[in-house]
Amino acid sequence: MSQWPRYEVFQQDKEGRPHQNAGSVHAPDAEMALQNARDVFVRRPNCLSLWVVPAAAIFAKTAQELAEDDTWQEELDSNTDQETYYVFQKQSQRRAMTYVTHVGEVEASSPAQALQRALQKYKGGTPYVWWVCPARAIFRSETADVESMFAPAHDKTFRMPNEYRVVAQMYEIRQGE
Amino acid sequence: MNPDLQHVLTEKLLALGDDELVLGHRDSEWAGHAPILEEDIAFGNVALDEMGHAMLWYNLRRDLTGDDPDRLVYFRDPAAYRNLQMVELPKGDWAFTIARQYLFDAAEGVFLAQLAHSQYWPLAEVAAKIGREELYHYRHSSNWVKRLGLGTAESHRRMQAALDELWPYTAQVFAPLPHERLLVEAGFVPDPNTLRSTWLTTVAPFLRESGLDVPAHGGDPAAGRDQHTEYLTPLLTDLQEVARYDPTAEW
Amino acid sequence: MSEEEKLQEFEARIARGEKIEPGDWMPAEYRRQLIRMISQHAHSEVVGMLPEGAWITRAPNLRRKLILLAKVQDEGGHGQYLYHAAESLGATREEMIDALLSGRAKYSNIFNYPSLTWADIGTIGWLVDGAAIVNQIMLAQSSYGPYSRAMVRICAEEGFHKKQGQEMVMRYAKGTPKQQAMIQDAVNRWWWPTLMMFGLPDKDSPHHEILRRWGVKVRSNDDLRQEFVNELAPQLLALGLTIPDPDLHHDETTGNWVYGQIDWDEFWRVISGNGPMNKERMAARRQAHEDGAWVREALEAYAQKQVAGSR
Repeated sequence: MSQWPRYEVFQQDKEGRPHQNAGSVHAPDAEMALQNARDVFVRRPNCLSLWVVPAAAIFAKTAQELAEDDTWQEELDSNTDQETYYVFQKQSQRRAMTYVTHVGEVEASSPAQALQRALQKYKGGTPYVWWVCPARAIFRSETADVESMFAPAHDKTFRMPNEYRVVAQMYEIRQGE
Repeated sequence: MNPDLQHVLTEKLLALGDDELVLGHRDSEWAGHAPILEEDIAFGNVALDEMGHAMLWYNLRRDLTGDDPDRLVYFRDPAAYRNLQMVELPKGDWAFTIARQYLFDAAEGVFLAQLAHSQYWPLAEVAAKIGREELYHYRHSSNWVKRLGLGTAESHRRMQAALDELWPYTAQVFAPLPHERLLVEAGFVPDPNTLRSTWLTTVAPFLRESGLDVPAHGGDPAAGRDQHTEYLTPLLTDLQEVARYDPTAEW
Repeated sequence: MSEEEKLQEFEARIARGEKIEPGDWMPAEYRRQLIRMISQHAHSEVVGMLPEGAWITRAPNLRRKLILLAKVQDEGGHGQYLYHAAESLGATREEMIDALLSGRAKYSNIFNYPSLTWADIGTIGWLVDGAAIVNQIMLAQSSYGPYSRAMVRICAEEGFHKKQGQEMVMRYAKGTPKQQAMIQDAVNRWWWPTLMMFGLPDKDSPHHEILRRWGVKVRSNDDLRQEFVNELAPQLLALGLTIPDPDLHHDETTGNWVYGQIDWDEFWRVISGNGPMNKERMAARRQAHEDGAWVREALEAYAQKQVAGSR
């Protein structure tokens, strides 16, 4: 029995920082996906904006796949209809939480061509994973949503471990032993 | 504040807190049992928010009377509860839960928008704080109503049945408390007589767009908030069980 | 590259501390073991909502109610993160849920024990979540990127789960006679099942070698179990509680708290479906799944109508 399609979720945690992949949610449509993304990923205060994208709309390759196989490539074509694609990279093996991060946009007429253009345009560093998706596949929260969707998490202080003074209390008890 | 005005205000705050508490209780019964994992998480958030709102109203009341919110909740008998009958009804199926949540969220939205201009500033402040979360609740429950109303024949049938069952209880939602006019005259709360029509102008067209019939107005007088269905006592027995097991304990 | 060379390169990457990501080459056995482990872990979070969720309505004050609601909600979230990690390996949510509901998939034994009093909520928080955290901190270093990231996120959130439980245990241990009796009874019932959460001793653990070699697990079950006992035992005793293990003692030379023999027969009884609550837990999950079927269908139908309408 169906569990609904999957949407990848991108989250911006601070002003001026890029959107990063946080995980995914199952949802029947984009509007519900955005709502689910909020409830799954913003139970604590760490969000200014969310994007959701149908998982099926993402074209992904790891550095290893790119090195071993180029059969996915297409002849670059600037004549047919172009549209904007968003480009995401995993850039670091060190930071434990970070997966693919938004790095910019390219114009292309297919996902494969978008990735080829992205490989040329964003070739710096040693990206480990590449994702591209058409801009029109992204459904986004709006600035006006911040107050009702993301700000209330600040008041739920009981979710914060430092609300519980158990370490100090235990220390006092054991001093008295 | 003159004693009569203060008395009605404490009664109003009790009613507001009790509505949120009892609705939050019913919502929390879904924890671990929702139709899909994502909604378990989403609806847990709704329940959590309603409980948080109950606490805010009880805290305002405590500032006036000194009554501890936990004593108020855990050691008050059913007859002294002032919640709407609508919120104490069993959780029912998902359609019933969503229909009730939607009707309540819409009513709260209308009330809080006006309460934000209260002349009693603590009310205005809490209204603004709760209002932003309720905006999201309304978005959540209305998204669900639309989808269930227009989804399949079965979801439509269940939504309509839920709405038909709940509708008579909505007469109570904006019925004024005894002497509530004192609060209205002082500019503390909006006039309850105007709220229902504002609520209907939001709710009725939306329900129709969602493929649902707005039930006819029964016209029966609203029950007082001191009258309850048979469902409240067992609900409170459950809620108060542990606290009353050892009333002297700090939990 | 030959399969053998691919395997060598794969193991070299793990040795360098690189994360394996979806799309990268991996041995079929690595994929299979990860799907098994991650989906079991996800199921545990979801089934784990039940014993605690049942106490939300009865929480003895408003603060505890908010905390428990938030905690159970987090557990749903953790299940969600983990299903996502398993999906990145090609398992679908439908398959995984079907495996759970049909009884083919396992979940943590601990949730097949009943939560009998409110004090169990404190014990689940401090003991059960405390044990889970020891394991999860290790798994956060796992070689598979999505699993590791899910664990980092979960560990960050579990801190609150453990501490709210510890707060309760400490308060009740120093509380009224009724509270003291409740919390001692809870510790008595949960202590041994918690120790079993770390899994079989390394010598009997069938997947131990391969999981270590491929960096899925970076420490042994016994090592983690010992760390947990060393942390918890002295604190419980300091609170005036007793631990239901006559052999438990502090070994001055190793610094370890040495514990007695774990009843692995009980472990096998529970895992094969004969624990006190196996049937109830599964019945609750199946009921929710079946009751939700018309809801999921309705939203799918609505989405399809919208797509059709916009064409």
